[in-house]
Amino acid sequence: MKRILLACSAGMSTSLLVSKMKEAAQARGVDVEIWAVAQDKAPKDMEKADVLLIGPQMRFMKKKFSKTAEEVGIPLDVIDPMAYGRVDGEAVLNKALELIGD
Amino acid sequence: MDKFMETLENVLMPIADKLNNNRYLTALRNGFMVALPFIIFGSIFVVLANLPFIDQWVGEEAWATYQDALGPASAATLSIMGLFVIIGIGYKLIEGYGGESIYGGAVAIASFLILTPQVTNFDLDGTVHEVGGVIPTNVMGAEGMFLGIFTAFFAAELYNYFVKKDLTIKMPAGVPDAVSRSFSALIPIALTLTIFLVVRIIFSFTPFDTVQNFIYTLIQEPLTALGSGLPATIIAVLLIQLFWFFGLHGQIIVNSVFDPIWYALNDQNLAAFQAGEELPNIVTKQFMDTFIVGIGGSGMTLAVILGIFLIGRSRQLKELGKLGAPAGIFNVNEPIIFGLPIIMNPLALIPWLLAPVIVALVTYFSMAAGIVPKPAGIIVPWTTPAILSGFLATGNSIMGGLLQLVNIGIVFIIWWPFLKIMDNQYYSNEKKADKETSNTGNRNVN
Repeated sequence: MKRILLACSAGMSTSLLVSKMKEAAQARGVDVEIWAVAQDKAPKDMEKADVLLIGPQMRFMKKKFSKTAEEVGIPLDVIDPMAYGRVDGEAVLNKALELIGD
Repeated sequence: MDKFMETLENVLMPIADKLNNNRYLTALRNGFMVALPFIIFGSIFVVLANLPFIDQWVGEEAWATYQDALGPASAATLSIMGLFVIIGIGYKLIEGYGGESIYGGAVAIASFLILTPQVTNFDLDGTVHEVGGVIPTNVMGAEGMFLGIFTAFFAAELYNYFVKKDLTIKMPAGVPDAVSRSFSALIPIALTLTIFLVVRIIFSFTPFDTVQNFIYTLIQEPLTALGSGLPATIIAVLLIQLFWFFGLHGQIIVNSVFDPIWYALNDQNLAAFQAGEELPNIVTKQFMDTFIVGIGGSGMTLAVILGIFLIGRSRQLKELGKLGAPAGIFNVNEPIIFGLPIIMNPLALIPWLLAPVIVALVTYFSMAAGIVPKPAGIIVPWTTPAILSGFLATGNSIMGGLLQLVNIGIVFIIWWPFLKIMDNQYYSNEKKADKETSNTGNRNVN
């Protein structure tokens, strides 16, 4: 089970992506838990996640999240703006799995 | 152009970083977040208490009874939103420091109450009586907003400072742990509140009399006067758009500075609206949220989606329209911003910056001229679809919804030529690509 956390300003636009990623995961038979939160909740939820993906419009939060991510020991990255705009669940899922490794 | 963009992004990124990661602005933003559910609850009941036409239908007396019955809902929340903001800020600051956050909220509100004059003036047949033993609710609304924010900052900082100093009462061995712990919060809180008491006493010797007056006349009034003006509003609008153009969340960055002003202006309008007086401000929280943003999201992209459906020939735009429309109705527009794309797209820059400014001007002057009612101080959740949100924000006025419709038209006209060029580009690229694939396809068959 891979746990993927997405964060943006209010968790609204990333939640759009969440449903697309879930579809992509289901189609490929990958066992995942994916959820989106508002940026202020992200540090707390990182403890339960294997990877954090940040909406590109909040990319200035990366530095702040990096500290918590390091403490919890999970990778993080900013979602590619193009994939974000297309709500490309497949591409973002690949990115997340790649970050988690194995 | 690329070079210019790069330079600008290098300027904007650190600003976004600084503003968003500043401890106090973060606490302020989160403090407002704590207050938001209460604000919206109160707003719903202001809307219900002011439904149009019903008063003529049920009669004046029944209507007044009905309004009185619903009154406490907003009086206990929206009208005293400062209370929740203060608690929220104190709580979030101490939480950020890793302390016992509930004390942060409590010490902030206690400090604020120490600074608050607990009397009110009561006019009885022309003579004014001073009534003691009250906490005037108006100080927790618009009037006390700035004092509340500053007090919460200072109270939480002082409390945290004294906690970190570890000034606790040492209990002899054998005293249960829980007992000595119950004292651990005592000293930091006592010291913090004492300081605020001293501040209050000092101010009573000045011409300002209260800290409330001091902050209000020296900081809040000038700032809100500035913030309610058209120049500051246009600057805020442009900054939001500019940040977004670089794919940075404009509202979250700019609002953390402007929100206290916009909310204070909002509360002044609410008080006037409920008292049946003329509304003092045009620019308020809702002016921005409902009429400049709340039409599909930042940059009012609902009109862009409309344009895509009307003129889009390319597959790329058609797909984007389908993807963006459902979210766009609820003012979530990241698919459009990143998908069109608007970010870093020179073709989008002009309509992206121009449309909101024109809309702000049209909205401002139509309210100034009295054609459309000013925002009534009702906070409409930002995900409320356009037209409905305009209706609610103006205190149930059809004109509010109509103004949003006009604004959609303005944005649409400004975007039209640029959208057409983008669509033509995508369309010809797609045709070219189709030709190539069909050519290679034919070759494979051969």
